[in-house]
This record gives sequence, structure tokens and C-alpha cells, in this order.
Amino acid sequence: MTNLTSVPGADVVPAAPAKSAGRKPGVKREVNALTGMAHIGLILWALATAGPLIWVVLASFKTNTEIFLGKPFALPESWSFKTYADAWTEAHVGRYFLNSVIVVLLSTAGTMLLGSMAAYVLARYRFWGNRFIYYLFVSGLAFPTFMALGPLFYILKNMGLLGTYTGLVLVYIAYSLPFTVFFLAAFFKTLPYEIEEAATVDGASHTRKFFQIMMPMARSGLVSITIFNIVGQWNQYLLPVVVISGPGADQKMLLTQGIAQISVSAGYHAQWSTLFAALTLSILPMIVVYAIFQRQIQAGLTAGAVK
Amino acid sequence: MTEIFKAEVDRRTLLRRAAAVGLMATPAVGMLSACVGGSDDNSTKQSTGTKSADNPLGIDPKAGVEIIIFNGGLGTAYATDVDTPLFNKKWPDAKITYSTTEQISTVVQPRINAGTPPDMINNSGSNLMDFGAIVKAGQAADLTDLFAAPSWDVSGKTVADTLVPGAVEQGTYDGKPFAMNYSFTVFGLWYNKKLFDSKSWKIPTTWADFTALCDTIKAAGITPFGFAGANASYYMVRALLTSAAKIGTEQALKDIDNLKPGAWTADPIKKAAAAWGEIGNKYINKTFLGLKHTEVQLQQDQDKLAFYPCGSWLENEQSKDTPPTFEYAVAAYPSVTASDQLPATAINAAAGEIYFAAAKGKNPQGGKEYIRGMLSKEAALGFTKLTKSLTVVAGAADGQTISPGLTSANDLLGKAGKDVFMGYLFDTWYKKLDDESRAAANDLMFKGGDADKFCQRMEAASQAVAKDSSVTKFTRS
Amino acid sequence: MRHGKYPFIIGFLVVPVALYCTFVVAAYLQSFQLSLTSWSGFGAIKYIGFENFQKLWNDDLFWKSLRHNLFLLILLPLVTVALALVIAFLLNVGGSSRGGQTRGVRGSKAYRIIFFFPQLLALAIVAVIFQRVFGPDKSGMINGLFPESWSPWLFLADERWAMTCILIVLIWQAVGFYVVLFSAGMGSIPAEIYEAAALDGATRIKLFFRITIPLLWGTIQVAWVYLGIAAFDAFALVNIMTVDRGGPNGASSVLSLMIYRNTFEFSQVGYASAIGVVLFFLTLTFAALTLRVTRRESVEA
Repeated sequence: MTNLTSVPGADVVPAAPAKSAGRKPGVKREVNALTGMAHIGLILWALATAGPLIWVVLASFKTNTEIFLGKPFALPESWSFKTYADAWTEAHVGRYFLNSVIVVLLSTAGTMLLGSMAAYVLARYRFWGNRFIYYLFVSGLAFPTFMALGPLFYILKNMGLLGTYTGLVLVYIAYSLPFTVFFLAAFFKTLPYEIEEAATVDGASHTRKFFQIMMPMARSGLVSITIFNIVGQWNQYLLPVVVISGPGADQKMLLTQGIAQISVSAGYHAQWSTLFAALTLSILPMIVVYAIFQRQIQAGLTAGAVK
Repeated sequence: MTEIFKAEVDRRTLLRRAAAVGLMATPAVGMLSACVGGSDDNSTKQSTGTKSADNPLGIDPKAGVEIIIFNGGLGTAYATDVDTPLFNKKWPDAKITYSTTEQISTVVQPRINAGTPPDMINNSGSNLMDFGAIVKAGQAADLTDLFAAPSWDVSGKTVADTLVPGAVEQGTYDGKPFAMNYSFTVFGLWYNKKLFDSKSWKIPTTWADFTALCDTIKAAGITPFGFAGANASYYMVRALLTSAAKIGTEQALKDIDNLKPGAWTADPIKKAAAAWGEIGNKYINKTFLGLKHTEVQLQQDQDKLAFYPCGSWLENEQSKDTPPTFEYAVAAYPSVTASDQLPATAINAAAGEIYFAAAKGKNPQGGKEYIRGMLSKEAALGFTKLTKSLTVVAGAADGQTISPGLTSANDLLGKAGKDVFMGYLFDTWYKKLDDESRAAANDLMFKGGDADKFCQRMEAASQAVAKDSSVTKFTRS
Repeated sequence: MRHGKYPFIIGFLVVPVALYCTFVVAAYLQSFQLSLTSWSGFGAIKYIGFENFQKLWNDDLFWKSLRHNLFLLILLPLVTVALALVIAFLLNVGGSSRGGQTRGVRGSKAYRIIFFFPQLLALAIVAVIFQRVFGPDKSGMINGLFPESWSPWLFLADERWAMTCILIVLIWQAVGFYVVLFSAGMGSIPAEIYEAAALDGATRIKLFFRITIPLLWGTIQVAWVYLGIAAFDAFALVNIMTVDRGGPNGASSVLSLMIYRNTFEFSQVGYASAIGVVLFFLTLTFAALTLRVTRRESVEA
């Protein structure tokens, strides 16, 4: 993240309709063309993005024959919510969603805490082994995750952590560390030393400096990495499959596992509409959450250091 | 036991010490094999009881049995509603721990390797485990005693006696039975009886009749023949090899299984490939290459497709989407040449759905006893009623009218008499060869019907497998 | 004044490093060791030295898969970043001016929410959806939009286009995230800079290339590396969407798929691990190269 100053609020335009008052005459033609193209382009992309999702919602009400043989955007013949009821009970969408939320919250918190601690030390302190540990973390970015699945199973089994959320959270944190450390370290490096030096002169301990000075300064970087982590961990599928396995795993599965299970099951039992109903159910809360928190996310991403 | 505990503690301490210093001690070979390969010092205590006439497998009546059932086209109701109550009627103290999954390999394989497998495993689905490898690693229990034990509910006969011929052999590896193949599937050309009757289309017995009929069907605006290239081209492989077996008897398939040089370029295979290639060229809908099996099957239900090569599970799989104008029926593949060694009525029918007992589980004998229960006539009938699929228990479904497709399949079996052959096994033995056959079938049927190319390609792949020393080999006679 | 630097350093490092080594490094080292064996996934392990790598060298499918990964590697970051930059730019700066201050288009907040949707979907779901989008007969979404007289396009069933379809899906899912990221980055560029440039008569396009991109360079770098790593994966999509798992005829096979199939279907865990080792070094090289080649001094506004 480059070190930018910013004026909070200089970002997004409010959705008020644009009036023609106060436009520079010379630039007017260019602005019109650009605005026009912009709208067209954005609408096209919005259609491309929302189109498949609309299709999913429609399909959740259709029969198999309608889905595979009928026209894609034709309205379903009947609007019964049976598939949604099925999805809720069979696919346990409610429970899995909650499980996912708990696990991701805990893991992201843990990742950000431990990741920033490690990144800070690695970025701003010189000591023997610094480079080695740094590269150890960074090389983790290059590992294909599912290579580790087999051995990971045994490691967890030997530690008695199979089928537990503790195990899953620890694993999530461990696998999110490379990315977090890598980018936060780069970010911490760019923060100015003057404030920190002033604090040292004032007698602040390293720990206090970290929590009370450096972290607040790093807010924009932290927010972006947190979002990266939340999204990445939310969509994580392979790791839960390995960790949450064995007897009793049914109750603990995460949303991605649940959806994948239905989708595999749909391949066998051909219950595609239930799959799409489950999908819709799982997307809705996320959209709502994102819409609500959009302003905070936006603000967090753009908050910069105050010089 | 103390040794295991000590080894674990050492590993953990080693890791912690290494981590703190920031150095990684390279894990010793010993650590690796103890972690990942089935460890030999990990012998679980297994339950046993006393053998008796009533308890031929010598199970412990109080020990629980853990089973895992694949949740696929056959569902799991037969296990929960038929087999388990039947088992518990006889052994009320033996608690059945049941779980189900769609991904057998992902869920069970690690447990097998870790030495804590479930007792009875239903190895099935597209994510099934390589059973040959399981057998070679000694992880599957020897079922000889199971098949020699008396039948659950047919007095005077052993379990093996009550099964259709070939059922036990199909699960035999290197002379010993390790798998119980439960469902009995009839393969053939499936079609809509109501449609064919209404158009007075007669089922062909010769290839000339077959192509003539296809022309008629095509003129009526219906795709005469098709299969799902995206995920089920092995249905086509089976159709092709069935025709080959009809031309040159099952020996042609046995040669393929045994990786005999020249097996794939032999005359029967060539002729079958040429005949089917022609069908592909003229009658198949090219878009099917990108469709999955459910999609193609749906098309057939809507009478957009006439003939579909499949097995007798088809009716049950499509039960939710079959309109009332559709009645499933199956026909034997027509003779390819006038000099076919097997008659037109010969069919390919085979047992499928592997059930096995894990050799290193806590209660393998209990697992076997559960299977013995499944092989009772009562359980078999229950299975057939629920899944509309026959079992290997002979005559269990006699006299029952369950569904048109099942009746048609049974009919076909009757007409075939002794000309029922099991088919081939290379698709479970050599996965890479299986893979290649799927791609080759797609190529043949959708991309121009070049029979020579098909044969040469498969021959090359077959010999590559034969030379590959890292692949365990099996043989059949 | 030191305040005991070392206890602090160790204190802050010990937990993350321990966690990392236990769950990540240990797992990978074991899987690296497996690449030197012929293990099938069951039973005893036999060491065979570098035989797996020799086999890999001669394996046609391996080279095909590698080419496909490189195809993704070049195009995925390029197209995604370009698209995301343009869309973010339009969102932030594409609207009509008011009083000389540049604004984004109307409804950009709504757009932002819609564009972010794909990120919220698990890749497996996206695969299922796009199978229907690319359906090879008339019921497929794209084919359904064509006029009746056109014969349907085969998309995933066509050897020439299968990989492109995969690329499209990856881009579709990724763009929204980077739009938000870049948009935020752009938003933190102070308005005065734009105004100053606009006063000097710079068009929006010039603003884009001379100001926005350089100031966003760090973010773009991050995006590029992250997308490149995704290009080495693509497993879920290929596994679910393609004909015959990587077909037709290997036309859409990727390295990650090969690893999965060799591990779980062909019982050749040793071979799969060897592919994994190669994948690791490729990814590492890519990341290192990208960061080195695109290094610039961090630009301060």
C-alpha cells in the first residue's frame, strides 16, 4: 500500500443526480461522452455480474426439466417455496452459515493479531534470523494448499485436534499468515519512524508503541488485509473438508462444505433447484451485511496516515 | 501402547523446539512413515466372539459396528430402513453407528491410513477409493468366511450359494474375495416404451436394422442415440465393449483386463469401434459432448433422445423427472456382424456397489456380519423395492412387479439365459486406462468416428500401464 | 534506550511462527518428501529418488497443463486488473463535473454492491452457474441469447475454447473485489491533485494514466501477485466445469487438477507430490519476478 495522504470524504460521490450547473463549457463534450460511455460500460458489467445470480434465483423455483431444457430467463411455472424449505432442512444452511461466521470471525481476528505482530517485528527490527523467518512466511504463498491436506490430516490427528473448531481456527490462521505477514510487513516498512522515535524518547515500551501508535497508523492497510482474509477464509473449502471430518462432523460443517455437499448430491439425486435455493439463502445475508457495512469498509480502506 | 504415546510426544516436542529457534530440523524418514503410511505399531484391539451355528462369523454380540454408506443414486434409505433394523433384530446389543457421505475417498481414505477406519464401508461414487490399492495394502478384510457362512434366512445354503453366478468372482482379487458387489445391474439400450409403441418402432436385433431404425427416428426429429460426454462417457465405453464381447466373446474383454499386447487392436474391438463410430458420425447430437448425464437423461425423458446406453439404475435416478408419457424399457445391443459369437440376446450384466469390511477396524467381523444381513433375501427385497435395482441375491425380487424398467431388465435377463457376461474390470483396476478410454470414446463418437485411431490410442495407453512399475497389476481368468 | 528488544521480538514472533511451522511448514515438508516416493496412498512407502520427476518430464499431459496454467498466468492478472481499474475509474471519476470537481457516476454505491457479489460466492457454486451459462445446447444461457438460426457454440466442449471459458469465469469472479480495492485507493487520492491537473487542461484519460495508476502502483502489485497465484490454482473450476475432468482430451487440464487426480483417483501420491513441488517453484519464481520487475519507489502524493 503506498503511503498516501488523504482527505477523508474525498472519495465516493453521493448518489444525487447530476445537474448541469457549473460545468466548464470546454470540457462539456468530453464529459458527456465519457459519462455516457461510463454508464453503458457499467450497466453492461452489472448485467454480466447480476445476470447469473438472477438466473440462480429463478432456477431455485424451477423443475429440472425447466432448468435444463427451457429458456434460461423464462419465469418458473410455479413459485412454491418448497425448495427453500428443503434447502434449509436438508442442507442445514442456517446452521452452516452460523458455523462459518463463528469460525471466520475467530480466525480473522487471530490472523490479524498474530500476523501484524509478526509483520511488525520483521519489518522494523533488525535481528539475527529476521530474513530467514520472513522468507519462510513468504514462501508459504507459493505452496498449493491441497498438497498439504494429507499430511495436515495426520498432524491434526496426532494433536487430537481433528473435528474441532480449535483445530480449524488454528489451521486457518496458520495458512493465512503468509499472505498477511507479507503484505503487512511491506506496509509497516512504509510507516514513518519519527513518531515512533518520539514515543521511545517518552519512555514507551515496544508493546505499547505497537498497540497504541503503529496499529492506528496502519489502519488502512489493516482494513484491506482484514477484508482479504475474511473473503478468503469465508470461501475456504479444502481445509474444512480435512479438519471437520469423522463422526459428528455433520453438525460442525461450514457453509462451503454444506453447499459443496448439496452440489455433489445434486449431481446424483438431480435436485438442482434445491441446490440453487440453498445458494440463494446463503448469498442473501452476505449481501445484506456487505451493503450495511459498505460505508465503514470504504472509510477504512481510504483512511490514511495523518502527517 | 506406551511406545505410541512416546513417539507422539517426541514429535511434538521436536516441532516446538524447532519452531522456537526458527530453524526447521528436517523430519526424519521415520517421522514421515509413522505419520503418513499406515503405521504398523498401531494395532487396534479388534472385537471377537465365539463362533456358533447362529454366529458363524464369531462376532461379539455387544460390540458396536460403524458403517459408512455412499449417498448417491441408490440413496441411503436401504441401509437405515432395511438393513440396520434387520441387523438389530438379530443383534439388539450391537449398536450401529451410521454415517453417510458423497465423497468416500476424501472422508474414509485418511481414516484407513490412520488405522481407525469404519467397520463396513460402501466404496462407491465418482470419488471412490482405489479398491485395488486398498486390497494390496492389506486394508480390506478377507471375505472367504462370509461367503462360506450359512445364509441369513435361506436354510441349508451358504451365502455364496444364494447369489447369482459371478457375484463372488467379481470381488475377487488374486484368488480371494475382498469386495461384496451388491447391486446387480443390467446394461443395455434404454428407451421409452410408450414412444416406441406409439410409433410402431421395433427393437432391432441386427446392426442393419439398428441403423435403419436410427434413420427413421432422425427423420421424426428425435436424436436417435446419445450419451453424456462431459461426465459419463464411460457409458459409451461399456456399450462399445459389450458389442466387442458379442463379436468375440468375453475373452476379448479379459485380454484387455490382462493388459495383453494387441488386446485393443484385436478384430472384435476394431469392428465394434467402427460400427459405433458410424453411429456417432450420423446420429449423435454434437452438443452432448458438453452435457452431463442428468441433462442428457432429461432430454430422453422429454422424448428428444431415443436410445441411451445405461444401466438399470437409470429409472430410479430419473424418477422425479419422468413424465407420465414415459415408460422405461431396455433392449439388448444388436448384433454387430452376422458372425457374432454371442447371440443377439446376450447381455452385459454385472454386480456393482462395493461393500467391504476394513481389515484394521475395531470390529471387522461385525462389519462382515452386517454384509451377511444385507445378503439375506429379506434385505435384498427391501433394497430392490427402495432403489428399483436388483441385487446379487438370486430370485429375491421374483414375482414382484416393482416398476416397468425393472420388469424389462428382468425380462432381458430371462431371455439371455446363460449368455450373461460380467464385462470388464480394467476401469476399476487401472484408473489412468479408464480415463483414457473415456476420452477416446468421446473422440470416437463426437469427432469423426475413426476406429483405428481409437484402437491404437487405447493400445498405447494399455501398454504404458503394463510397463509402469508403480501401478499394481491384477489378472483375471 | 532499548527496553529489552529481544524478549519483545521473541514474544511477538513465537506464537505465529510456531503455529505456522506446525501446520504449514511441516505439512509441506512431508509432502515434498513424498515426491521422492512411489506411495499409492495406502500401505508402505518406497523411496524411488527422482523417478517421479523423470516421469513428469516425459508426460504430455503435464506440459499441456503447464501451458494452460501459463495461459491463465499471463491473461488473468492482465485482464482483471485492467478491467477493475477502468471500472473503478468510471465509478470514481466518470461522472459529470460539478463546480470543477470530478465525480463518479450516479449510483456508484449500488454498482459497487452488485460488482462485489461474485466474490461472496464459493468457487464451486460459480462453477455450477457457469456450466449453465456455457451450456452447449440451446438451453445454455449464452446460446439461448443467440438467434435461433445460429448453431449452438460448444464452449467447454470445444477443445479450442475450453480454457478461455475457464479464464472468463475466473475474471468474472475476481474483478469485483479489485474494483472495490482500486476504487478505495483512487478515492484516497486527494481531489486537489485532480483539480490541479484538470486546470492544466488534462483530459480524464490522461489523468488516469499519469496520476491514478502511479499512485495505485502498490495496490496493483499486490493484485497482480495474488491473481497470479490464483492462476496457478483454478482447481475447483476445472474439476467441476470441464468435460471429463480436464478435457476434452486434456484441453483444459491444469496442474492443480493433475495433483488432485493423481492423489485421489490414480493412487499415485508420490507422482502428485512431484507435481506439487514443481508448482511450488513455479509460483515462487512468478512471485519473485513480479515483485522485482514491478518495483518502483513508493510514490508519495
